[in-house]
Amino acid sequence: MPKLGHPIRSTSAVAAAALLAVVVAGTAGASPAKHSDVTITGAGATFPAPLIAQWVPALGPALGITFNYSAVGSGAGITQITARTVDIGASDAPLTPDQFTACNGCIQIPWALGGTSVMYNLSGVKNLLHMDGPTIAKIFLGQITTWNDPAIAKLNPGVSLPSTAITIAHRSDGSGTTYNITDYLSSVSPEWSSKVGKGTAVNWPVGVGGKGSSGVAAVVASTPGAIGYADVAYALQNHLQYFAMKNNSGKFTTPGTRGVTAAASSGQKPAADNSLSIVNPPKKYANAYPISTFTYAIVPLSSPKAADLKRMLFWIVTKGQATQYTAKLRFVPLPASVLSVDEKAIAKIHS
Amino acid sequence: MATADVTATPTRRPFTGRRVRFGDVSLQVVAGAAAAATTALVGLITWKVIDGSRLAIVKNGWGFLTRVAWNPVIGRELYGAGSFLFGTVVTSFGALLLATPLALGAALFLTELSPRFIRGPVTALIETLAAVPSVLIGLWGIYVLGPALRTSIEHWLHAAFGWIPLFGPQSAAGASVFTAIIVLAIMILPIVSSISRELFLGVPLELKEGALALGTTRWEMVRGIMFPYARGGITAALILGLGRAMGEAIAVTQVIGGSPTIQWNLFSTSDSLASKIASTYQGAVSRLQLSSLIELGLILLVLSLAANITAQWIVRQTARKHGVTRGGHA
Amino acid sequence: MDRAADGAQARRHPRGTRVSAQELSGPSVRNDRLARRRRVGHAMEAGAWLSAAIAVAILGLVVWSVASKGRSELNLNLITKTPIPFSLTNAPQGLSNAFAGTIVIVGLATLMALPVGILIAVYVNEFAPPSIRAGVGLVLDVLSGVPAIVIGIFIFLLLVVGSGQSALKGSLSLAILMLPFVARTTIEVLALVPNSLREASLGLGIAAWRTTLSIVLPRAIGGILTGTVLAVARVAGETAPLLFTSSVVGTKTDWDPAHALQTIPVAIFELSESPSPQDHARAWAAGFILLMFILFASLGARALVTRHTRKISGR
Repeated sequence: MPKLGHPIRSTSAVAAAALLAVVVAGTAGASPAKHSDVTITGAGATFPAPLIAQWVPALGPALGITFNYSAVGSGAGITQITARTVDIGASDAPLTPDQFTACNGCIQIPWALGGTSVMYNLSGVKNLLHMDGPTIAKIFLGQITTWNDPAIAKLNPGVSLPSTAITIAHRSDGSGTTYNITDYLSSVSPEWSSKVGKGTAVNWPVGVGGKGSSGVAAVVASTPGAIGYADVAYALQNHLQYFAMKNNSGKFTTPGTRGVTAAASSGQKPAADNSLSIVNPPKKYANAYPISTFTYAIVPLSSPKAADLKRMLFWIVTKGQATQYTAKLRFVPLPASVLSVDEKAIAKIHS
Repeated sequence: MATADVTATPTRRPFTGRRVRFGDVSLQVVAGAAAAATTALVGLITWKVIDGSRLAIVKNGWGFLTRVAWNPVIGRELYGAGSFLFGTVVTSFGALLLATPLALGAALFLTELSPRFIRGPVTALIETLAAVPSVLIGLWGIYVLGPALRTSIEHWLHAAFGWIPLFGPQSAAGASVFTAIIVLAIMILPIVSSISRELFLGVPLELKEGALALGTTRWEMVRGIMFPYARGGITAALILGLGRAMGEAIAVTQVIGGSPTIQWNLFSTSDSLASKIASTYQGAVSRLQLSSLIELGLILLVLSLAANITAQWIVRQTARKHGVTRGGHA
Repeated sequence: MDRAADGAQARRHPRGTRVSAQELSGPSVRNDRLARRRRVGHAMEAGAWLSAAIAVAILGLVVWSVASKGRSELNLNLITKTPIPFSLTNAPQGLSNAFAGTIVIVGLATLMALPVGILIAVYVNEFAPPSIRAGVGLVLDVLSGVPAIVIGIFIFLLLVVGSGQSALKGSLSLAILMLPFVARTTIEVLALVPNSLREASLGLGIAAWRTTLSIVLPRAIGGILTGTVLAVARVAGETAPLLFTSSVVGTKTDWDPAHALQTIPVAIFELSESPSPQDHARAWAAGFILLMFILFASLGARALVTRHTRKISGR
């Protein structure tokens, strides 16, 4: 048997081993998971994901907890915590009675507060465009199809709008942000309410689906004339413009700290299941941004990781609300009334 | 790689008349257990998928197969596989239509036309196309192919033939049935090509040379001798390619846009069975929706198995017809 | 079948009269039909050349796109730094968690699939009667036809519901995908081992099981490993089953199979839907590395196949 084969084989074996060693050494050098860390897995809403990404690096040093969060959408969060495939679920849409039953002893805890921006891609127009409920409902229904439609022009006098076609970008996955905006659309448009309704996933009359808030932002960013919806942090991070929405007092407000704080003051008392609705607040909240929402952590009351969950959640609803985490992403610290409800709820978790 | 012809008997003799050692028996038992476990696995997969879709089967009924609906709003829930079945059929058959002439042409090139020295490298390259991960082809589809198609071919086709409903308004973001068809065609091209290549290599030399000696052109020889001879195998290859296209979830979901409607416009967004499952499964909001998605998976499983088993059956039939040995070739 | 166009010819050669080859090809006779047939033939041959060129061009196009678009992020950071989701600064980030996870998951999948595949091949080749051989062949073919996403659903329903995701469960789903491939190539390779070898061994009094394990398998090991490398190349890029079994992951570089680990294909899938151009570039760069590994493994394995085949069968 010729010996020629062996040098080739052994060389490639050595080369493969060397490559493997390089990769292993390289990855090992990058912050390996410490064995003393507790790992808590979470999945759910993309809405709070940018804020959670700020919490994660702080949770390690502060509490010794590694929080692995996967932003797969509120619907997925509910499904996964129901099936106990993760330790904690997250959803912007409060659980329905059926979902509570299915979850079998879960509790929901509002842990963040923010605004859903209606973002768009219209590079030729630099002004902050105005929009109101009935008009945006018609747009999402597919009844208004171009930017220079009279309804849009009426809200923005003096702005020259192009004739670009409007492409709607919506969520293709089960989403609490979808729940938030369809909740809003249902309250401002009877036609939307009867034709489509509200929910974490609806039958969108028109539009392109994107996965997660990132997916929607991606569609909007890459499609001239597109309109989509996502937590305002996504619009900020991707330099997308968003509308100033008309609230019930007639003012055009943006999803910033002021608008969301004003909206939150309309929902002071959580319901028995800890849910709060602050969509389209009545007109006495003059500065309110009408598409604001609380977002919830969904935790099983009885969990093997109860002690660590309680520590983590307590940190999140107190220290995690500090402006160093929330301000630049336009999240708003939880109001005191909500905080006290949260603390009582967290105390109920047991192992 | 062509299926292993396990019916071709390696000449082994049974261990008769020999002392049966404990080691022999244990090896046979362990190895047999592995084979049995694999068989059980196939059954288990089928059973688990049926079990998971049971709730949906009961609630959705037979109408599920044709209903065009996917309304997950709680309280108005209505699910149907109609649009996804349509999407799967359109994208898979479209991909097959596009890939078949290219694959057969490439196979012919490699067996009849190419200079000997490039035969090996080009074969390897085309087969390597099959190894490219679907997520990369999907990524390429979103950011390279989709936008390129939108501004070029879709634009021309719509401008020139816009009166045909097939060539309606262009896709807004490059995501469309058309992009999905091309992506799938790229994925099944190497499969059909490599199987066809082996089939063409198996055509007996005497038949080919006989035809040429009678004065046919090379193309006429291919059309009159090779295609009919390899007809069964090519059909099997096409069905295998079809099965592969139907089962592809990731690349399709990246480029197809995800809308549960039936439209004739090739440039509109759509969705297929596999793509719907991949995009929605983790985000299912109710047990019925979850179960309906699994029911989509069940339909997909049935279609894929049917395609696969049909193709294998055809292969065995033609192998029997032509005998197992390959014809002479270099 | 003389046509009217060949009128002159028809008058000279009524139907049924033999036409000499010289007359058919002689320059003095009109060869419209032959010319047309030749033209068609040439057009078809050109089509075949074009088809092959297109197929190769597509591969080149994809490889070139992946290489050029990932260039900006194709540096050491990619494998040494962890990802920073929603980063508000320009701190260097990479996909170290995905590289580590891919090695763990694909490695474990190979360790699961290889022994089972070899055992099946041993059973089929050495022990099974023809009917069972055909049956197992059918089972392997059926298993290879199950779409990857259905396998993902299966493992999810069987193992993940109620107990969570993990790299091990992801490996299991990949192992199921690899199994038919490994088993089939091992069957083919074992069949190539000359029977004379087995008979010689048995004739010397070596037990049958010993023969198989110590004589036949080592002889075929080259081919088996080649088949394994091809199977690894195939599943290294699989995304769908991992979405169900190992997608809720952390950003730290983790090697623990009990945790859900990030993998390169899943990372690419998620990054591809992000709006950030840096995320896209990172997806292309990771894709480039994955693609190079797969190409290297596939082409290398194929190059070795002929050598092994000759060595195994003793020719």
